Amino acid sequence: MTLTIAHTVDDALTAMAQGARPIAGGTDLVVGHRQGKAPLPAQLVAIDRLTELSRVELASDQIRIGSGVTHADLMIDPIVVGRLTAVADAAALVGSPATRNVGTIGGNIMNGSPAMDTGAPLVVLGAEAVLRTETSERRVSLADLWTGPGTVSAQADELCTGLVISTPTTQHGSAYVRLEYRRAMEIAIVGAAASVSFDGDRITSLRVALTAVAPTIREVKGLDDVVDQPSFVGTGGVIVPEVLSRIGSLASQQATPISDLRASDRYRSHVVGVMARRAVDAAARRAAGEEISVPVNRAIGIGAQR
Amino acid sequence: MTVLSSDLPPFRRADGPDKVTGSGRYTADLSVTGMAYAKLCFAKVAHGRIRRLDVTAARELAGVFAVITADDVPDLLYSPVIPDRRLFARDVVRFEGEVLAAVAAVDAETAERAVSLIDVEIEPLPVVNDLEAALKEDSPLVHEDWESYEATGDTPRDRNVATFSSITKGDAASAMDTADVVVSSRYVADGSHAVPIEPRSVLAQWEGDAVTIWTSSQVPFEARAGVCETLQLPTNRVRVIVPHLGGGFGGKCGFHFEAHVAALAKAAKRPAKLVFSREEEFLAPDRRRESMIVELTTGVTNDGEIVARQGRVLIDNGAYVADAAFFPQLAAMHVGGPYRIPAIELEASLVYTNHQPSGSVRAPTAPQACWAVESHTDELADAVGLDPVEFRRRNIVHTGDEGFAGQVYGEIGLDECLERAAASLAASVAEVPLGSHEATGVAVSWWPSFGVPAGANVKMQEDGSVQIITGAQECGTGAVMTLADIAADELGVEPSDIRIVYQDTAVAPTGPGATGSQTLLNHGRAVEAASRQIADQLRELAAAELEAAAGDIVLADGQAGVAGSPGASLAIADLAASAAQADLLLGSASAPVPEYPTVSAVCVGDQGMAAWLAPQFSCHAVRVAVDPDTGVSRVLEVHAAHDSGTILNPIGAHGQVEGGIVMGIGQALTEGTQLGEGLQRNAGLLEYKLQTIADVPTISTQFVEIDTPNAGPRGSKGLAEAPNVATAAAIANAIRGVIGSSVRTLPMTAERVWSTIEEARV
Ligand SMILES: Cc1cc2nc3c(=O)[nH]c(=O)nc-3n(C[C@H](O)[C@H](O)[C@H](O)COP(=O)(O)OP(=O)(O)OC[C@H]3O[C@@H](n4cnc5c(N)ncnc54)[C@H](O)[C@@H]3O)c2cc1C
Repeated sequence: MTLTIAHTVDDALTAMAQGARPIAGGTDLVVGHRQGKAPLPAQLVAIDRLTELSRVELASDQIRIGSGVTHADLMIDPIVVGRLTAVADAAALVGSPATRNVGTIGGNIMNGSPAMDTGAPLVVLGAEAVLRTETSERRVSLADLWTGPGTVSAQADELCTGLVISTPTTQHGSAYVRLEYRRAMEIAIVGAAASVSFDGDRITSLRVALTAVAPTIREVKGLDDVVDQPSFVGTGGVIVPEVLSRIGSLASQQATPISDLRASDRYRSHVVGVMARRAVDAAARRAAGEEISVPVNRAIGIGAQR
Repeated sequence: MTVLSSDLPPFRRADGPDKVTGSGRYTADLSVTGMAYAKLCFAKVAHGRIRRLDVTAARELAGVFAVITADDVPDLLYSPVIPDRRLFARDVVRFEGEVLAAVAAVDAETAERAVSLIDVEIEPLPVVNDLEAALKEDSPLVHEDWESYEATGDTPRDRNVATFSSITKGDAASAMDTADVVVSSRYVADGSHAVPIEPRSVLAQWEGDAVTIWTSSQVPFEARAGVCETLQLPTNRVRVIVPHLGGGFGGKCGFHFEAHVAALAKAAKRPAKLVFSREEEFLAPDRRRESMIVELTTGVTNDGEIVARQGRVLIDNGAYVADAAFFPQLAAMHVGGPYRIPAIELEASLVYTNHQPSGSVRAPTAPQACWAVESHTDELADAVGLDPVEFRRRNIVHTGDEGFAGQVYGEIGLDECLERAAASLAASVAEVPLGSHEATGVAVSWWPSFGVPAGANVKMQEDGSVQIITGAQECGTGAVMTLADIAADELGVEPSDIRIVYQDTAVAPTGPGATGSQTLLNHGRAVEAASRQIADQLRELAAAELEAAAGDIVLADGQAGVAGSPGASLAIADLAASAAQADLLLGSASAPVPEYPTVSAVCVGDQGMAAWLAPQFSCHAVRVAVDPDTGVSRVLEVHAAHDSGTILNPIGAHGQVEGGIVMGIGQALTEGTQLGEGLQRNAGLLEYKLQTIADVPTISTQFVEIDTPNAGPRGSKGLAEAPNVATAAAIANAIRGVIGSSVRTLPMTAERVWSTIEEARV
């Protein structure tokens, strides 16, 4: 096995052109090897020292998150917490402090697990992945990136350099919640992210995506009839219960989960609806200006810090 | 007492810096010259007949030094009470972790390759995995030839019933007729695991005809006895040393793989080391917490007095009995509970299945049985309209009472435990009222102390420093470390002047090791007695010099002084220096075993578990929140009160209670072995969910200290297991308080709680 340490993005792209697989935090790659899921590739290129990949940048109309940004940085980054709060909610739930300190957002999305926590938030925020080779660069929507559990459409020589997201307007909020049996070292059993914009008493845009209930992150369809209807009770971002229930039912109906050691399909379908309701509720309240600290799981409800 | 009082500076553990800085050495850290790497070949099927076991290819692989099977060790059955197993399977395999062969090779990778080259064909046999079905006449037998096993003691057996016990007092059936209300309940608890942080390791090295074995054992003397029995060696040729031990929780009690590795090292003609993976640590040892079915019927009067109880318990023994023969009687005691019950009829069976063998994991049988009986107790309280604390107040045992097995209690503090834990929780609820999906729950429990032989040698050296040479085993509790405090107190020196030499069977007198909450109770008495012998010698020496009566000499602060004359004193170090030139300061003692009480109940299958030495009592009171939409439960507070006699080491004691509670929360909510056709499906830390530090609630602990005679040193009782018993039960009662019905399976996972809510809705 050879391990090349890349000092520039070009180093990494050259190594990848010659067949090396990138390793960022290694928390999926190395752990998967030790669990016997997949052997370590013969050639690896370490990309964890590429500072140019570990920045979050805000331009006038778009935010760029470098693929090498760790979960520990995401959960406290002012741009992410302020504008892409659902991503911070998700990053703050990943594994343990040790996992968050080395695990990256690029590794999370390129690993392609349907249980990845940053996936659903990035979907509802409309993120695109930037994939680069020695000779090309393209942007791909996440729906097109993920092709199945653990598989992505990127070519072997394509390095994900980051994610780009149109800067959300004001009166926008997002949130991510997941079911947890314990408060650390948990893998998503189900989760849901929501992104909500509103104007007056109407939701102007709403996206909801679900974690771990399908082969890839699944975006909930058919939310159009909720949009542009009077949906709020007062001005505090509180959505009327019927609307939340409707969103929850859609989420439950569209989930196609499996039964495994962690939960039955029946339970997952039910709970993903609960998660969807809660994510939309928190996102809407954030949109209206309420301070709900990151992560939502620790701020409200059963998992709240006490 | 000077050193051992709670207002002194925090207790210092001599092994602490080693462990927290990483300089400490555990078995897996050791290597010796020429060492080979060992790997075991496991059956991987729950029940089957070995048709072929061909190790030729493995033996021929380059880098392999030896491959051994049942053909290479003495052909005999071993195990305490019911010898029913072999080191290596012969003919039949009865659980997936059964060892077929062992390999020694030049490195771990080669050993693993060699294991994969072993050609195994096992013809599947029907899997016995259901406790009720295993009892039926037509059930396949786990041990076809069980009748030929030479069981010892009072061990009624029948087909798949490995052992059976019953406790009968009065006429429960007639007494039940006099009750105003009769409540019946059934509970099912899944099995679970000890999960020590250190997966076990064994290193064996022969020199001539003697073998030294370094091993992750809680019980080095028992491990030695197991090696001697299975390899037919005299005691003097086996030395067992335990380097630092990374936890045990009972999982490393008993004798496990020491003989496999010793036999392998002999065959390989070089030292051999085995290091378990986490998965192997889950699958192979014959110690895991037993699954259990509990059925209880209890009659009460309208004013809440229990008049009769009938109960039946089925315990999953797994494939071999290991140390579980006594489990039925102990489980019966626990489903009776620390209550006054005039008429009782309890039966419990230990049932053979094709699962991993059960064995003593921290308070064996008790957390599950307590969870069942204390859930049942809240159902009784409900049935007669009494508050759960008040119902218990009316029925628990008090000082001087006779328990249902007929033991008459000396001074005990269960009533005070109940009052104190309940009051502590009530104060918290008064301050922060219950939230909308919160409720409280309470449970009481008990646990025996075990008095067994143990010895200690103590020596004071020429500079006044002291060595304790003890057979005690430190499994992380700090109990062994407390021995220094006892000796320091007897000898008037500082604990830091004392070094403990421990965990080596070749140098220390025999002792039980870290099992059954016995370390301080037994080794503490031995160390106290041996230290006293030296203290007496010091007093004689000082008395002669100071011209005082030996009885007036006070040993404290490194000085031998005279009571009532502050001026006259000698440094203990100086006395030690002169003794080094004359009569050496040596103490050696074997503490007499305390006397066990008698019982008046009729006990069939008596394993000595109905007569409890120095019983410990406790009450846990909890505040729990339940998310009604998902069934996720969170424990917010635990208020514990324990009667474990005198507390010798407050910091260690608090640590034990807190650790026991956290383990109890795991059992209550997330820890359970999932099985499919006899095979474990969650043998790893990803799917077997321990509690994490982020889940730990606020814990408040109080000790009801009663100076208890005929028990441990200075009126102490055991403490290591008791804190693990009542937690799950209290949580169950709180969950019931929120959702309105009992969750009848353990662990009470989020999905099970949610399903219970759903069923109640229908
Ligand atoms: C104990 C533990 C707990 C965990 N808990 C969670 C959790 O709660 N939620 C969660 O979502 N995940 C969790 N994970 C999984 C993992 O930590 C995350 O997916 C993490 O984000 C992976 O990032 P990494 O940098 O470590 O990826 P790596 O392991 O380095 O890489 C993962 C994969 O992505 C590829 N890759 C990495 N970077 C790039 C890139 N820039 N371009 C192209 N390909 C790339 C690698 O080749 C590899 O195939 C956990 C893991 C562990 C060990």
